[in-house]
Amino acid sequence: MSDYSIGISGLNAAEQALDVIGNNIANSATEGYHRQRIELSPNSSLRQGSLLFGTGVNVDGVARVIDNLLEQEILRQYSSLGQVDRELVTLQSLESVLGEFSSEDSGLNAAIDNFFNSLQDLSTNPTDGVWQNQVVSDAEVLAGQFRTLGEYLTTLETEIQLEVENTVDSINSLTSQIAELNEQIQRVEVGGGTASSLRDQRDKLISDVAALISVETQSRDYGVVDVIIAGIPVVMGAATIELEAGLDSSGQMGISVKGEANYTTNISGGAVGGLLAMKNDLVSDIHDDLDSLAAAIIQRINQLHVQGVGSSGSFRELTGWKMLSEDVADFGSSVGDGSIYVRLTDTSTGEATRHEITIDASSDSLASIAAAFDAITGLNAAVVNSKLSITADAGYEFDFLPAVLSAPTASTLTGSPPTISVSGIYDGTANDTFTFTVSGTGSVGNGTLQLVVTDSSSNTAATLNVGSGYEAGETLEIGNGIKIALTTGSLNDGETFEVEAFADTDTSGVLASVGINTFFSGNGADDMAVCSAISSAPSRVAACLGADMTDNANALRLAGVQDEALSSLGSLTCGEFYRQLVANVGLDVSTRDLEQGNIEMIVQNLESRRDDISGVDINEEAAELLIYEQMFQAMAKYISTIQTSMESLMEIL
Amino acid sequence: MGGTVNSIYNNLSFALNLQTDTLFRLQEQASTGSRINRASDDPSAAYRVLGLNSQVRTLESYADNIERTLSTLEISLTVIGEMISALADAKVAVSQITSGIYGEDGRATAAEGINDTLEQMVSLANTQHLNEYLFGGGNTGSAPYSVVRTDGKITSVAYQGSYENREVEVAAGVRSSAFYIGDEIFCSNDRSELVFVGDTGAQAGTGTSSVRGDTWLTVTGSEGNYSLSIDDGLTTVSTDGTDTNLAVTDSRTGQVLYVDTTTITAAGVDLVRAPGTYDVFETLIYVRDILSNEKGLSDTQVEELCSSSMESLEEIRDYLTEKSVSVGSKIGFLEVLANSIEDMKFVTEDETMMLEEADIAQIAIDIAREEILYEMSLAVAGSLMSMSLLDFIG
Repeated sequence: MSDYSIGISGLNAAEQALDVIGNNIANSATEGYHRQRIELSPNSSLRQGSLLFGTGVNVDGVARVIDNLLEQEILRQYSSLGQVDRELVTLQSLESVLGEFSSEDSGLNAAIDNFFNSLQDLSTNPTDGVWQNQVVSDAEVLAGQFRTLGEYLTTLETEIQLEVENTVDSINSLTSQIAELNEQIQRVEVGGGTASSLRDQRDKLISDVAALISVETQSRDYGVVDVIIAGIPVVMGAATIELEAGLDSSGQMGISVKGEANYTTNISGGAVGGLLAMKNDLVSDIHDDLDSLAAAIIQRINQLHVQGVGSSGSFRELTGWKMLSEDVADFGSSVGDGSIYVRLTDTSTGEATRHEITIDASSDSLASIAAAFDAITGLNAAVVNSKLSITADAGYEFDFLPAVLSAPTASTLTGSPPTISVSGIYDGTANDTFTFTVSGTGSVGNGTLQLVVTDSSSNTAATLNVGSGYEAGETLEIGNGIKIALTTGSLNDGETFEVEAFADTDTSGVLASVGINTFFSGNGADDMAVCSAISSAPSRVAACLGADMTDNANALRLAGVQDEALSSLGSLTCGEFYRQLVANVGLDVSTRDLEQGNIEMIVQNLESRRDDISGVDINEEAAELLIYEQMFQAMAKYISTIQTSMESLMEIL
Repeated sequence: MGGTVNSIYNNLSFALNLQTDTLFRLQEQASTGSRINRASDDPSAAYRVLGLNSQVRTLESYADNIERTLSTLEISLTVIGEMISALADAKVAVSQITSGIYGEDGRATAAEGINDTLEQMVSLANTQHLNEYLFGGGNTGSAPYSVVRTDGKITSVAYQGSYENREVEVAAGVRSSAFYIGDEIFCSNDRSELVFVGDTGAQAGTGTSSVRGDTWLTVTGSEGNYSLSIDDGLTTVSTDGTDTNLAVTDSRTGQVLYVDTTTITAAGVDLVRAPGTYDVFETLIYVRDILSNEKGLSDTQVEELCSSSMESLEEIRDYLTEKSVSVGSKIGFLEVLANSIEDMKFVTEDETMMLEEADIAQIAIDIAREEILYEMSLAVAGSLMSMSLLDFIG
């Protein structure tokens, strides 16, 4: 009765083929579905005498039409696309927040320019309240812009951190599902079945994971696939290892086996790769750059500001900001060994004296500095709540002006020497002591009397005629901004007097670091602000450096910071550094935009190729439907014919 | 195999996304007129545009500084011009006295006129512009000149301003001051040999004296025992007539006059002129006092002194004229600089515009092309979707 068997096998095969076709058409729009094909083979033959006869058709199974190499490449590209997508979205949002080009005077670039230009304006009218207010107002806008950007970046970093944690949770969930499917597939295929649909479901999950993070897969027997992430075998058959996200000891974010805290930070691919690149490199670098820029402006402006005074003049009291540590060694890299030169003025006589406080950065503390100030007659100082506070006694005022004192600081002149008046604003770049040595003996205005001026390196700075031709009282310029004038009197050959010239009255950097007479407060973009003492009293904007406190020398120095190439900014000016930062962000966005387009194109091509191989073409399925329909009809007819033949035979009997 | 439902949909979706993105960009450029709306549109051009914008702001700041400086200098020039004019009038008045046209009453009237001129000069020297004193050097907040009056009349004028210039930046690396140091404007500083007018025979010593303008040297005593004073006798210096360089000091000012006493032949009062050291105020005070004849000099002496004071007035007027030319030159320089800065600003803005400006014609063409591509994508997808074997299965 092999004829019946042949017919039944054919009917079965055609029926199952029609099932597969129906399933294909039903899943023609299902994402991740791979076209299935029924696999048929002839049944074993029967020997009848010397002849072999077929026994029908056998259904070997239902197989997925899949190109594994292509699938692997698609997974890899999904990971790349996931990373670039995430980076691009973040960078585009950052670029928008920078706000350049949204309007002519928006953005930090304009704020930096406006601040320095208002200092230029102040230099034209250093005592005018309108310009002082303008400087404070523009400084507040500048600080506000820095804070807005800094806070945005901080929030962004926090959000990225949370997103990585959430994404890792999603990965854990997906790998758990993959492991479950592995188990089901193995169970089916160990029993000789084929689990094409389960494989499709699992492969779809693997591709979902690949969009989140770069994965490697390893196929094993019975359709099982292991999944490896960052060298960690997160799926091994039916077993899983959970991951967690966290920060390593250097603050870099990474992924580790849950509970082990051994974070791998150099992960690429997928949304996690993008997020980690953002957190550890791109956003973090931009934040660092912005902080560096803010810190450079704060530090340089403060360094110059502490030395000057505003139109309100010298101080009766100054209080710094609260220090986290009172040890000078902890004050930061801008503080080192050096000296603070405080100028104390007796308001009843107008006499000014200068006092040096030596700073040893390795051993001094806020308390020892306060003690040094306190030891100066006319000054009181203390540390209150980790803040340095300096107050002047009644009848005294103090400041840190570099202005030369009106008389020489040391002298060996004897007899009836002239009264020597010193004035001017030193324009040198380093503190120096100029020694004036008398050449010749005689009265001022007579003979060949000269003063030879040498600096502390014994280089001759000038030779001044104070003999015949010099009119007593006449002002003589040394050539570095310092001027002297001698009244009548006698000078003796070889006698000397000295003038101390200051370019910097705080070579230690302590004053700017502890907030004494500073303009800005804060350490970076997030906390930059105009000091409240300046905001509430713009007349304290230190535009002056001269002893008469009416000049604009400090306003010019402060405005000049705009054109200074600062070493902390890689020898760029503030504006150049920021513009480079903006251009770099633009370049990053542009590069990733291009990269995204390229990867999308590659993915599109690969998916098209996959559709060519594994996709369901309704027309092709319809054609196959006709074939198997006809096969079914033919087999039914065949059985009917056999039946008729058998009936004819039975009738003979 | 090709043309699966998914692949047709994916291709369509991909193409439409690309075309929509392109259309969005084109629409943005068309609506803003700018091809750079964010740094990523053209990073290198964006860097340049930001730099050029900063440059424009800096140039505007320089232009503002120049404008303010020019405004101040022009007022200063006007003030100096008025002073020159007033000095010319004073000189005419003194020359009429010198010519002997007027007697004592006439001289008194002329003295009143000179006193008025002096008051005017002090007022002009203390001129303010936008609440800033023009001639106080770096100190523009307080009046640079103060006066001491006796019986209502000015007897001395002192400069109290700053001796420091207040320079502002008017171009990169170029600084200019708007406010002059009064002591340098109203007081000449080109000392030459002293001139002794009188009968004592005294002459200048070898030392460089510090007396300025006109000084009265009083010689008392007799040969071999003279006493010399330049502070109206408040302090005297004795000499036996053998000192060739005797320092005579004014106890009020500390100024010193070096006298060669060997040529003194008689007691008396000499007028010691220090050419090249005259200042506007002291000269006018001196002329007024001569005309008032408070020392009780003879008419001849008064006329002689008036004649010599003409030279002082002339010197001061010439000095002020020289300064006004200097201020005028500075104004001219700043006007040229202002024009240069305006030109630079124009060129910079033009360059910015060239970098930023969108090509509207090109945008219109691109939009039309993208529209056609968009429609074609839809049409092709529709056509592919409509063809099916199923239609032919009966």
